[in-house]
Amino acid sequence: MNDYRAAMAAPEDFAEGTRRSGDLVLVTNGAMCARRHPWAIVGLWAWQSALALLASGPAASLVGSAYGRDPRGDGALWDAGGHALLDMLWHDAHGISVLGRATALALAVALVAGLVPLAALMVAMAYASRDRRPAGLVRSVAAALRAFGAFAVLLFVFGVAEALVAGAGVGAAKVTELATHASLGEASAQLVAGAAGALFLVGASTVGVAHDLARAAVVRFQVSGLRGARMGARAFAAAPVRMWWSWAWRAGAAAAPVAAVAAAATGMGGRGGVALVLLAVLHQAVVVSRVALRASWLGRALRSVDATLKYPA
Amino acid sequence: MMRPVRRFVLSAVPGVASAVPLALATGVLAAGPAPAAGVASAPPSLPGAVVAGSAFDDDADLPAHADDVVDYTLHATLDPIAHTVHGEGTISWRNASARPVRELWLHLYLNAFKNERSAFLRERVGGRGSDTPEDWGFIDVRRLALHDAGAAPVDLWPGAELHRPGDEDETDARVPLPRDVAPGETIALDVVFDDKLPIVIERTGYRDTFHMVGQWFPKIARLEADGTFAHFPFHHLAEFYADFGSYDVTLDVPEAYVVGATGALVESRVAAGRRIERHTQSDVHDFAWTAWDRWQAARERIGAVDVTLLYPPGFAHLAERELATLRFALPYFSSRYGRYPYPVLTVAHPQEDVGEAGGMEYPTFITSGGSWLTPPEVLAPEIVTIHELGHQWFYGMVATHELAWPFLDEGINQFAEVDGMAAWRGEGTALNLAGLTVSDAAINAVTSNFGVHDEPVAQPANAFTSGANYGRLVYARTASLLETMARVYGREAVLRALGRYARRFRFAHPGPPELLSVFGEVLGARAADTIRTALFDKGWVDYVVDGVWTERARRPAGVFDREAAADGGASGATSAAPSRERIEPGEAQGGQWENAVAIRRRGTLSFPVDVELTLADGTTRRERWDGEGEYKRISWTGPVALRGVVVDPDDRVMIDYNLENNRGSVAGEGGGAPRTLERATYVMQLALQAIAP
Repeated sequence: MNDYRAAMAAPEDFAEGTRRSGDLVLVTNGAMCARRHPWAIVGLWAWQSALALLASGPAASLVGSAYGRDPRGDGALWDAGGHALLDMLWHDAHGISVLGRATALALAVALVAGLVPLAALMVAMAYASRDRRPAGLVRSVAAALRAFGAFAVLLFVFGVAEALVAGAGVGAAKVTELATHASLGEASAQLVAGAAGALFLVGASTVGVAHDLARAAVVRFQVSGLRGARMGARAFAAAPVRMWWSWAWRAGAAAAPVAAVAAAATGMGGRGGVALVLLAVLHQAVVVSRVALRASWLGRALRSVDATLKYPA
Repeated sequence: MMRPVRRFVLSAVPGVASAVPLALATGVLAAGPAPAAGVASAPPSLPGAVVAGSAFDDDADLPAHADDVVDYTLHATLDPIAHTVHGEGTISWRNASARPVRELWLHLYLNAFKNERSAFLRERVGGRGSDTPEDWGFIDVRRLALHDAGAAPVDLWPGAELHRPGDEDETDARVPLPRDVAPGETIALDVVFDDKLPIVIERTGYRDTFHMVGQWFPKIARLEADGTFAHFPFHHLAEFYADFGSYDVTLDVPEAYVVGATGALVESRVAAGRRIERHTQSDVHDFAWTAWDRWQAARERIGAVDVTLLYPPGFAHLAERELATLRFALPYFSSRYGRYPYPVLTVAHPQEDVGEAGGMEYPTFITSGGSWLTPPEVLAPEIVTIHELGHQWFYGMVATHELAWPFLDEGINQFAEVDGMAAWRGEGTALNLAGLTVSDAAINAVTSNFGVHDEPVAQPANAFTSGANYGRLVYARTASLLETMARVYGREAVLRALGRYARRFRFAHPGPPELLSVFGEVLGARAADTIRTALFDKGWVDYVVDGVWTERARRPAGVFDREAAADGGASGATSAAPSRERIEPGEAQGGQWENAVAIRRRGTLSFPVDVELTLADGTTRRERWDGEGEYKRISWTGPVALRGVVVDPDDRVMIDYNLENNRGSVAGEGGGAPRTLERATYVMQLALQAIAP
């Protein structure tokens, strides 16, 4: 039972007991990992699922109003040739347009609101109760709400940075293509341009890695967003390749089940009944596995900042 | 050419829109439609009813050659720096009409890109060719001299009228002749001209060292049998109509350039740093070519045809996809519409920066298109290739008047494309990705309904109120109509009709009456009338489920007199008073169900359709409605309740205006949208993970 530290790392928290983290104490470095907190993973999945259900409900309702009267329901939309699908996209174009805007709005809200469950997951991995039990939903969310401001600042700072790098990548790709089009020809010029753009994408992903390290710093050291940003950058600079790779292999692994289940969905087509239930189970397995991989990376980020950084004076 | 995207309004030719339906109102098999003002008269090649005859169901009676009316022998020299072509040569032209001719009409279509007062650039309808050219293009005729035996050549060009009063378009020139040219007489003309190519616009022009050269020489307009020339300016939406003849063209380009052109390469040499190629082809009505120092070439013999595929570096995989398309389509179209009669076919795939050169047809020479990144699941290169190949029949050999009747060209060919792609690739003929297949036929079907109420399909190209409607109606509506006919009346029957039409009118210039006559002959009067209504009268159809009912069969309620148990009056008493039975409302009748559906047909077209009835036990049964009348009620009493109904469950009526109302269920028995909910939720979950981690 040596996973739990004798005292909280933050001096002021230690001194004042529960002022900022309630009854939570920091766990040992090795204990900051996702596999010890399956319920936290389930919690984040539940959050995403609830939001997704809410957001997709209107789409299902729209399709239901168009094809719900069919004895096969919306199965006709999956018929070979796609005639019914295209016909619906035309006849319900206005509704679909509204749906698109509403979905975009929902995603924008989720982008900000989702910081709370994300922070709660990280708190759950980094802290435990004083009686050495998992932090629990209420205390994790309470701590996450306290970290919300700092997370929002980080989202803005790193979001802008990522957008700038990605935008620069698009610009670099275009300039590269223009510069090489005449000499290399269209295909080769676009390949070179794509490679140039990909370099910037890697750059944007490193910003994302630093973003997560900054979030870990905020959770671990309970600092402000800007201070967390600096600490995250320092943590990344300490081992950039190792950090990036640690993120990248998990990101790659998270893409694999999506592709695999897409192939399965291809085979199932528009079948309903048991096949549809099976597909839903497969899809949710993919979502949960992706949440788990994300949690695994965040645990790694917590361990990294915990091991690398000291509490700022 | 492939369907363009159009958005601006065209000014209709006065009188055209009203004249055509009026003329046809008397019946499609009577006489040809009235000619469009400003457009050549409809070809009276076969006035009155036409019987194509089953002899044209195979190739046995195919004409070997076209009537050779005009021959061009030209020498063209490309200056790749100035982007000019110097041309000179001779034109041999025969008066194939029954009347003497005292003038010639020449199409100078490169002048469409000379200034913004050309008809082409005035008619900016959106899509390609609608932007102001980055560099202007034009043709200057230097000399057009008539050679009369025993007399000195007379240059006719000084007397030419390049444009009409009040119209600055210079694409349609009138050249007075010093004497009559008698019917059957052939004249010879010397011609010298200089082209300045524009930056690639609407399939012709240059960019850097790339050159696509179409509509580049002075071309004599087709002379109709009545002695009038079918001359017209280069319109934005249509340009083709010409007499058949032979072309002998020598192309002179820099040595490093690779040439693709109409016709067979019969001579090639290099001299003084120049590549000189001579291409010849008979039985065609146009000639186009390309020259570029980066063309790669793939060559293959498909049947009896030497196919050359020109493609840019890095596009080899697309070239292979297009060759695969031709391996299927050349023999397929030959079997359906008569054998391909030429020894060569050249396909050029321009890269994206000269994309406007792509998706175009010329005799034995077509252009495809698409990004080198086009994934195999997206079949755009295949569709473009098969479409342009189809034009070898519907435009090339069956040389209809594109301006007057564009649906005979692009519309029929669009069906050939849809049918060919389906025969080759099944239902996933446009997209085949992650279990979702989208067919070329479905895209055309939905597109075809966009503008169906706006204007007729069968009208001149420049009478369409917008380029968008031109695309929807000429291409998609015609194709979807024929696809519907194929699904309703049988694909083999429709293909037999089209094959008979294509063979009978090979190397001819038929009009709508000829097409409709053949359809009437093969499919019957009702089918031909359906086609006529759809094409000329904005015909449309929408099947609607009007109601679905099921309820427990009940005994009729009320008080009923029942015959008394008669003794036959043997007692001698007066007839026994009838007994009375009182039946309360809702009293069941032996566990039976009374089921009924009501179906309505809206619109001016009718097709026989299946009606699929789904019962509560999951079984289905089908009823057939002949489609006559506007309303059909199907009712029956049976042991199983009705759950729902679908009209046209096999998706035969592709032009049905709205598929959503083709289905209905009794209350609470619909299938809902569980698949959509499941997939939408999953996609949203992935989206949340991507943007809101």
